[in-house]
Amino acid sequence: MTHESVLPVRPWTVALVKPLAELDDSELVSATIGGSREAFEVIVARHRRAVYQVCYRFVNNHEDASDLAQDAFVRAWRGMKNFKGESALSTWLYRIAVNVCLNRVSAKTVATEPLESNDQVADVRIEGAPHAMIREERAAAVRKAIAELPKKQRATLILRAYHDMSHQQIADVLGSSVGAVKANFFHALANLKKNLGSEP
Amino acid sequence: MTHLTPDELIDAMEGLLAADRQAHLATCDECRAQVAGLSITLSEAKQTSVTEPSPLFWQHFSERVGTAIDRDASGGRNRPSWLGWQILVPLGAVALVILALIVAAPKLQVSDSPLALQAPEAPDASQPPDNWVMVTELVGNIDLDTASAAGVIEPGVAEQAVLHLTVEEQQELTRLLKAELQRAKS
Repeated sequence: MTHESVLPVRPWTVALVKPLAELDDSELVSATIGGSREAFEVIVARHRRAVYQVCYRFVNNHEDASDLAQDAFVRAWRGMKNFKGESALSTWLYRIAVNVCLNRVSAKTVATEPLESNDQVADVRIEGAPHAMIREERAAAVRKAIAELPKKQRATLILRAYHDMSHQQIADVLGSSVGAVKANFFHALANLKKNLGSEP
Repeated sequence: MTHLTPDELIDAMEGLLAADRQAHLATCDECRAQVAGLSITLSEAKQTSVTEPSPLFWQHFSERVGTAIDRDASGGRNRPSWLGWQILVPLGAVALVILALIVAAPKLQVSDSPLALQAPEAPDASQPPDNWVMVTELVGNIDLDTASAAGVIEPGVAEQAVLHLTVEEQQELTRLLKAELQRAKS
């Protein structure tokens, strides 16, 4: 046995010999727990888009989504020592983001965003204005309808449809059973279908 | 055979329906129409993308998170560093004892006869003294067990803490107690 192999090595000390950006999530978590703020900044940079998107689907507007995502990361920083690595870091961050959204968002106070967006302009150039406008209007209607679903249904639909989480993972995030998740998913789609049914 | 339940309709849409229920689905137009409707709605939902923020937003977002964490970390440091809860709890206890004496004093004065004075009842050992309960309420969400485990609410701690205060801290304590007494009187 070599001398090095018996020395107690803290996992986060890996960060000392590898650039932070090259560390995987579990190494970054260890480094963060070990006190490295820079490691957490890499975690934020790596997962901010996905966390923001979860929040955006909930509230359907940029301002609230960025506030909620920020809050989720602050809570993640506070609770990082509680992350046991039993799930992927992304799943844990989604759980925090969803809980932040569930606690702060009311189905009745969804402020939707106007239609203008960069991708809409791009669509107009490629497809021609009328077609692109109709498509974007429909997409906006779908986003709005999702944001108006009851909170548990909304969370289930967002995690299943946009983040490819299994029913079991969603159940873990929401603290419910797989059966309840499937029922929520069914009702989310049924309500969405009903709400969009009268539109073209 | 009964129609598919919501769970089973989701399983059917995802291709996970049990074989015996698959047989029902094959012969039930109503269930097939429901599964098709769910699939179309899900497909349409999946096609809607989130409006992408400006590329500059992400750097700004990371900085905002950093600032919020700094603010969060310094949130509990608005009061002087020496005035931590280890000091505040004993101080609160001292203040409450003084308040209790002030409240009890008028009752003693209005007694007509010394004979009317009753010997104090022995405290019920099964119940914590009222002042300690009040202290924990003042501290917030810290329950008795937690506070006891932290070693901050044992009798005598307050006196010990006061003895170890600097002159400056004693002056501040005096100011706090006076303010508390003033508030109690008013």
